[in-house]
Amino acid sequence: MSRETICDKERTKIEKLNKFQFPSKFKKIGYYITFITFGMMIAKGYIDEPDWVKPVLSGILLLGMLMISMSRDKIEDEYIDSLRSQSYRFSFVVVVLYALIQPLINFGVGILFDKTENIQGFDYFQVLFFMLVVQLMAFYQLKRVSKLG
Amino acid sequence: MKNTLKVQRAIKDLTQDDLAKEIGVSRQTINSIEKGRYVPSTVLALKLSAVFDISVNEFFELESDD
Repeated sequence: MSRETICDKERTKIEKLNKFQFPSKFKKIGYYITFITFGMMIAKGYIDEPDWVKPVLSGILLLGMLMISMSRDKIEDEYIDSLRSQSYRFSFVVVVLYALIQPLINFGVGILFDKTENIQGFDYFQVLFFMLVVQLMAFYQLKRVSKLG
Repeated sequence: MKNTLKVQRAIKDLTQDDLAKEIGVSRQTINSIEKGRYVPSTVLALKLSAVFDISVNEFFELESDD
């Protein structure tokens, strides 16, 4: 197989993966999953649950949000696609900056209030949750602004 | 880049919604093109040109900072 053909195949694979989206009805399902799981996570605080419940609920919540994020809009055209790409780029940058700065702020506040806090990182759930929230909000906001005259 | 989409639409007496339906995009897309916030792809430009039966060059014009 020639080098060009291999490169073409690789590129097609990546393009296909990039273009993958769920049908628009999955957005509703994603919202149901997200809100129900979120509700359960809040309720969990008041009930004694086994240790495995939290990571499972976190995983389901992230999956629900990913489903919302990856579902087509009713009219999915090139403009919506460009807004979607912008929202992903924005959330990526914001979350990386947040993850770098937030522990330092925590540490600073700890010093101010005379608490001995270590510089702590995030767990994967916090980072992914925040990234998905920022992406969904940015996408919603970009679409809202473009509807206005 | 400037465009004359709003004028052409008025001449043809089409609403943003009508035009959006005709070329299979959302109303936001038409609105954003008219406001100059979005530069459409060649495919979309050619679709617009077909609807209004004028050439793409008559629709879009480069500005000095392009």
